Order: sequence, then C-alpha cells, then structure tokens
Amino acid sequence: MTTIRQHLTSPLQLVALASAGLILLPLGYVTSQALLADPAVWSRLWATRIPELLSNTVWLAASVASLTLLLGVSTAWLVTRVEFPGRRLWEGALVLPLAMPTYVLAYIYSYLLGFGGPVEHAWQIVAGPQARIFSPQSYLGATLVMTLDTFPFVYLLSRSALLSMNVSFEEVSRARGISRMKTLWLVTLPLMRPSIAAGLALVILYVVSDFGAVSLLRYQTLTYAVFQQMTGRSDNTAASILSLLLVGFALVFLITERWFRHRSRFYQTTGRYRSPQRQRYGWLGTTLITGYLGLIIGAAFMLPAYLLISWSLSSDAQATIDSRFYGFLWNSGFLAACAATGGVLIGLPLAYLASRRPTWLNLGCLQAAYAGYVLPGPVAALAVLVLCLNLTPFIYGSVLVLIVAYVIHFLPAGLQSLEPALQQITPNLEEVARTLGLGVRQTWQRVTLPLIRNGFVVAWVLIFLQTMKELPATLLLRPVGFDTLAIRVWMEASEEYYQLAAPSALLIVLLGLPALVLLVSKDWRAA
Amino acid sequence: MKPAHPITGETLLQADLYRPASSVLELRAVSCAYDVGHPAVRDISFAAKEGEILCLLGPSGCGKTTILRAIAGFEPVRSGQIFLSGQLVSSPDHMTPTEERHVGMVFQEYALFPHLRVQENIAFGLRHLKRSERKTLVQDMLRLVGLEGFERRYPHELSGGQQQRVALARALVQHPVVLLLDEPFSNLDPDMAGRMRQELHDLLRRTKTTTILVTHDHDEAFAMADRIAVLNHGCLEQFDTPETIYHIPETPFVADFVGQADFIPGTVSNGMVHTELGEFPNTLKCEDGEAVVVMIRPDDIHLVPTKGATSHVLSRQFRGSENLYAVSLPSGQVVHSSQGSTSVYHEGTPVELRVLASHTVLFKQSASVEPPR
Repeated sequence: MTTIRQHLTSPLQLVALASAGLILLPLGYVTSQALLADPAVWSRLWATRIPELLSNTVWLAASVASLTLLLGVSTAWLVTRVEFPGRRLWEGALVLPLAMPTYVLAYIYSYLLGFGGPVEHAWQIVAGPQARIFSPQSYLGATLVMTLDTFPFVYLLSRSALLSMNVSFEEVSRARGISRMKTLWLVTLPLMRPSIAAGLALVILYVVSDFGAVSLLRYQTLTYAVFQQMTGRSDNTAASILSLLLVGFALVFLITERWFRHRSRFYQTTGRYRSPQRQRYGWLGTTLITGYLGLIIGAAFMLPAYLLISWSLSSDAQATIDSRFYGFLWNSGFLAACAATGGVLIGLPLAYLASRRPTWLNLGCLQAAYAGYVLPGPVAALAVLVLCLNLTPFIYGSVLVLIVAYVIHFLPAGLQSLEPALQQITPNLEEVARTLGLGVRQTWQRVTLPLIRNGFVVAWVLIFLQTMKELPATLLLRPVGFDTLAIRVWMEASEEYYQLAAPSALLIVLLGLPALVLLVSKDWRAA
Repeated sequence: MKPAHPITGETLLQADLYRPASSVLELRAVSCAYDVGHPAVRDISFAAKEGEILCLLGPSGCGKTTILRAIAGFEPVRSGQIFLSGQLVSSPDHMTPTEERHVGMVFQEYALFPHLRVQENIAFGLRHLKRSERKTLVQDMLRLVGLEGFERRYPHELSGGQQQRVALARALVQHPVVLLLDEPFSNLDPDMAGRMRQELHDLLRRTKTTTILVTHDHDEAFAMADRIAVLNHGCLEQFDTPETIYHIPETPFVADFVGQADFIPGTVSNGMVHTELGEFPNTLKCEDGEAVVVMIRPDDIHLVPTKGATSHVLSRQFRGSENLYAVSLPSGQVVHSSQGSTSVYHEGTPVELRVLASHTVLFKQSASVEPPR
C-alpha cells in the first residue's frame, strides 16, 4: 500500500513466500508425478487395487463415523444435561482416548482379541472350548479401534454445542408443552447438527489418514497402500497416484469440517448465556449411566493404560530399558525439537503477515501452510522423498529430509495456536509503540514478541509432542538404524512382543497428555 | 453542496483554512486512498494553532479516524500534504515514519501494553533517558493525571477511567507536538465520561497541548473543542467554533447532526420567506418565488396552549430538565419544541407556536439534501 511499509515488510514477505513454496513444492511434485504417469499405470491400478482400497476406506470411515456419532453425542448429552456423582470427572475423562495413538490402541487390541487372548478365553468359558471371536485383524477390529480412539472428537464438539447453545430454545419448546424426549429430537439435536457434522468430518479425516492402526491390523486402506507401494514395491509413481486420490478424499472432508464449524457459530451466539438445567435420575439411572461411561472409557483408555503399565513393570520389559532405550528417546526428542523449532520459525511470518496485512498473497501463503492437514503421514513422506530424490539427492537418507516432512505435516497444528495469539493483539498496541518513538524492529522486540510468547510456546510444544509419536513418515524417511520410540512400538508390536513394546508406548501416551490438555483447553473454555 | 455563509460570507472560512505553515498542524487538500475498512476522505484542509483543542466530528464511517491515522503516519495520503511544526510529513511521495513525527496518540480502547506495569507503560518511550530521570518524569505524570500509588499495577487491574489516564500520561510524557485522541470517552459509562471530559479539558489547557480529538458525539465536541471540523462522507462540511456550528450551520447536514432541528419548507416573496410558521428574513437574498428550507431548533419554538389553535401536541418526551414536544402543524408537518420540565401539556392539546425568528437558518431547496435520520 505505501512505499515505506512495503520496504519494511518485504524481507518478511520473502520468507513467507519461501515457506509457502517449501510446503507446496513437494505437494505439487507428487501431483504432477501422478498426473504425468503412464496411463498404463493408472489403468492397472484402477483394474486391481483402487476399487478394493476405496471401498475398504469408505466402509471403515462410514462405520467409524456412525459409531462415533452414537458414542460422542450420547456421552456429550449425558455430561451436559444430566447430574450424577462424578459428572465433572467423567466430563474430563472422556477426552483421554485422544492421548492414545492409534497404533498403541491397535497393538493392545490385537493382544486382547487375538488368538488365545484374554477375551477369547473368557468367551470360551461361556460358549465352550471351540468358540471363536472375530479376529482383530479385520474390518471389525479396525472399526473398533478407530471408534474408541476418535469418538472424543464428536464428543468435544457436541459438548461445546450443548453448553453454548441458548437454553431458551429448549425452554420455549418445553413451555409449549412438548416433552423432554421430543424436545431433544425436535430442538436440541437439530441445533447441534453443524457441530456434529464438523466432528464427524474430523473423525473421517482422521480415519482416512490413519496409518498406525490399519498397518498393525493389516486392513488395506489407501493410506496403508501408499506406504506399501513405497516400501514393498518401491513404486513411487503408483504411490503418487494413490496419494492424489487420498488427498482429494481428505480435502472434501476438511472443507466439510470447516464449513460446518463456521456455520455452528450461528446456532450458538444468541442471547445471554445461562447454564442448562441438569436432570437427576434415581439410583438405577445413575448406575446405568456410570456403567455406560465406565465401559467406554475403560475400553478406550483405562484397560489399555493398565496393560501398558503392568507390561512395563514386567522383568522382560525392564530389561529393555537400557542405553539403547534412552538412545531411542533421545532420537525422538531431538527430531521433535528440530521439527518444533522449524515449524514455529516458518509459521510465525506466515501467521503474522496473514493477520496484519491480509492481502490475497499473504492469505494464500497461510492457506498453503495448512496443506499439511490433508497430507497423511505417508503422503507427506512420499512428497518430500520424491522431491529430494530429484532435486537434492545428496541429503537423501539424512535427518534433514525427515524434519522437512515433519514441518510440512505438523505446521497446521502450530499455526492453530500462533494465529489466535497474533489476532488477540490489536494492531493499536504496535501503533502506539510507534507514536512513542520506537522503530519497526524495536516495536517487534518490545511489544509483539513478548505478547505472543505464550502462543509461541504452545505451538512449539504441540508440534514437539505430535512429532514424538509420529509413525509413518518416520518409518519411511529415517536414516538407517535411526529408531525412535514410535518406531520401536510399531516394530515390537508387529512381531507381537507386547511386553517389549510397552515402555515406549507408555512413555508416548504420557507425553500425549500435556498436548491433550493444550488442545482441549481452548474448546473447553470457549464452551 | 455548501451554500454561501449566511452572515460572514466565505471570508471566515477562507481565513481559517489557508493560514501559513507556521501552525502546529496543517492539512492541505488531503485525500486518503480507499482501503478496505477505512473510509476514504477527500480534499480535507484545516490547521491547528498552538495549544488549540480541535475536534473532528461526524457520524461513524465519515473518515474522521482515517484523518487522525493519516496525521499519525499510519495511513498514506493519496494527494495533498500534512505539515507538523512547519515540516512536511506526509505527501503522496514522502512519508515520515510515525516514530519521527512526535505525535502522541490515545486509542479508543487505550492500547495499554498488557504485559507492562503502569510505570513501565508510561516510561515506554523514555529508553534514552537515565533511570532517575525516567522515574521523576513518571512520578510527575502520575501526579498530573491523579494516579499516584498506581505505578505497580497492571492495566487489567485498573478501571476504564484509570486506564485512560495512564494512556494519556504515556502520550503526554513525550511532550508530543500534537496529541491525537480517538473517541476517548466512548468506552466509559456516561457519568464517568462527563467527569473525564472536564478533567481532560483542564489537563490539556494546563499543559498547553495542541490536541486533535475525534468523536461522533456533538455534546462532547461542544464541551471540549475550541474549533470543530464537521465531516460527512469523507468531506469537510464546516470548520468553525462550536457556537457558530450550532447557531449558523452551513449545511442541513451540520444543522441536523449537532442538535435537533426541524426543516420547514417555504417560498420567497416580497423579500421575505413565507412558511407555515410565519415569515422569516430572506438572509440568502433569494429571488422571488424560489423554494427554500428554514431550519428551526426546538429551543427556538415556544408553545402557548390556545383553544381553537390549528396545531396540536402529538407526543411528549420527558427528559428531566426539559420536555420535548412533537407538534403537528395543519399541513401534517411535525416540528419539535423544547419546554421547561414543569410545563406539561397532554397529547392533543391545541397550541400556538411562537418562533424566535433571529435564530433560524435558511437553506436553498437544492442544497437541502435530505438530512440523515
């Protein structure tokens, strides 16, 4: 706009453009590779893999979505509209499953439901020695694990919808003489629709891009297939084609989620806030409710956590906690710290420019940075790998490639706490510093940076903790012999050494808890 | 748009607009580019004398804040020049950065640094001074604005009025060439705003600070300003003393914006303006037969209840110190009249209207773009 301002911000502008380029280039490369591929490869894939992979992915997403809808909405309704002992405790506990990476839950369920496992034993006592239960390595097993792991998304969004909804709507309905149950169907649920839809889109996005659970349960989805094409067949072209499909698929649900989340605001911000009346039930009702919630949290978190702890305490597992174990821990921590630092350094100029000078260019750069959202781990890895093989083969196989992939993959998580932190400071604060005689740089140092420090730290911690448990990109891009905690869990679990995997898995779950608190606290307060 | 000045002609206006660059602040034909969210302003010229309190008054979206931001150096000018202390600071191809302009600014929501204590906020721009000097200055300022003992508080521990005083102290401690105030009282409750208005006026007089104040509230402008610039749609409608603005508005917009006014149509014949409310002097020297509009303020209309009168009271609004009546004339035209709070007439009472003819202002019909309502 002005010559002066342009001079001052142009270095920042260059940095932002370069960052956006860094993110879009690999993505563009994969896309072009897929589109320029020999039509024969396309037709071969269409004839063989794609129909099966698509139907598997769609079926898994559909079944998980319907189950999470049931679990998420019912639990949210119970903790917001019913009063029972320990309600607040349950309210918090219901998000705990999010701390459990899918591969940890998958490995625990392949033990529990596996051949000769405890559930089969119990079933055989009831139904006779020849009785069998379903194998965890199946559509049913994948559905179960993914449902238990992702229903908190629906729960969280439904809960905040129920809490921030104007109670008057329900009261009007009751005043017209409509019963409590009918009010739920006629008023409450329709009002929650945008929030529920946003939660479901998030669940589907998560299911579609998951690698950990489907790989351990050997259920063929698109994401798993991309990984297999890259490792088993070293066929990057086929992997690119599958990735393109996957990204298109994910994009649809990302846009759906954004759209519904945006719409949900219109349903919530009317009138003054009043907390809803909570109904009380007799001892039978209370017992049933507690039993229901206990069963869900027990299956999704308590039982797995108990198993991990007891396995970790076993002598076999204790023997693995040696210098090698600390080496893995160090590797994980080192990678995560590099990725987090890189992520916030790249994210800050992008978020700053988008909030202070919202031109099309700057907003476009920011949106490009959110591309990592639709890139499942294997795809991010593939993108970086393909680009690196073609442009900079000398860094292939080094830690740097891996860090670039992490940054692309987790930048959105960082941006989500950097952006609001910047938006909360009014530009007036920076302007007033200028009237007090401070230059642009001094203003940045003495006003902007101190004020966004918290958002900055939260962004760093979030990227750090998410990188700690990242699996597929690490598997594909790590230097030879460079193992992390997540890799150890996955490898031991693949070999069914359940006890040996436990200490690493337990550590990952524990590290996931603070990230969970950071992620949830915003939604929690907003409601 | 602007008719000739009813009394002084154009001379007064001209004299005020084009004074030499020796004034503390001068805007010469300033226009600002249209930017999303900031209304454009066109061809604005005015100047502020040393120690003067000048008010930019207008409805929201009229561009008054844009002018303030252009003076501070936050908005570029598309054409025209801005001078501070005789120095060119803004023109289409030159822009002195804000930090070199020595302007003080108090934002609508005060913009106190939330991470700094009161004393650190006030001393924020004093890094170049020694510690002891800084401390004395901060203490002096705190005494000046009446906030001794608050130096270790954080902004969120202060009330709105206290925050405003800190923001003021922070700006004044720099000895700014001009102090820019953006809607300074809009975030205070009415009681507090009244008190702060008085305090601020005294303070600015005592410190002889040249001040530009932006507001949409004409009462505030009248109470604070030496001169007022009334703005509408990015254009300067009138620049004058508060009294002139109220009594001799140059445009129907100004007349209506600075106080309640009724506009009565009339025609000129035999050198007088004939209206439903009687005859008024033809101050505009209009031709016979020309259509004009007469502006009358409610305090210039007196009501006398009379049996058989053709006008009657439509409604009464009790305002504490006065009663504001809406009166319907035989033609259906409605005018307003302000009466003492003890004279109570019921709806439908027939009344005679007596108009103080000396206070009316005449506008040509063509100039009277419908006043905003």
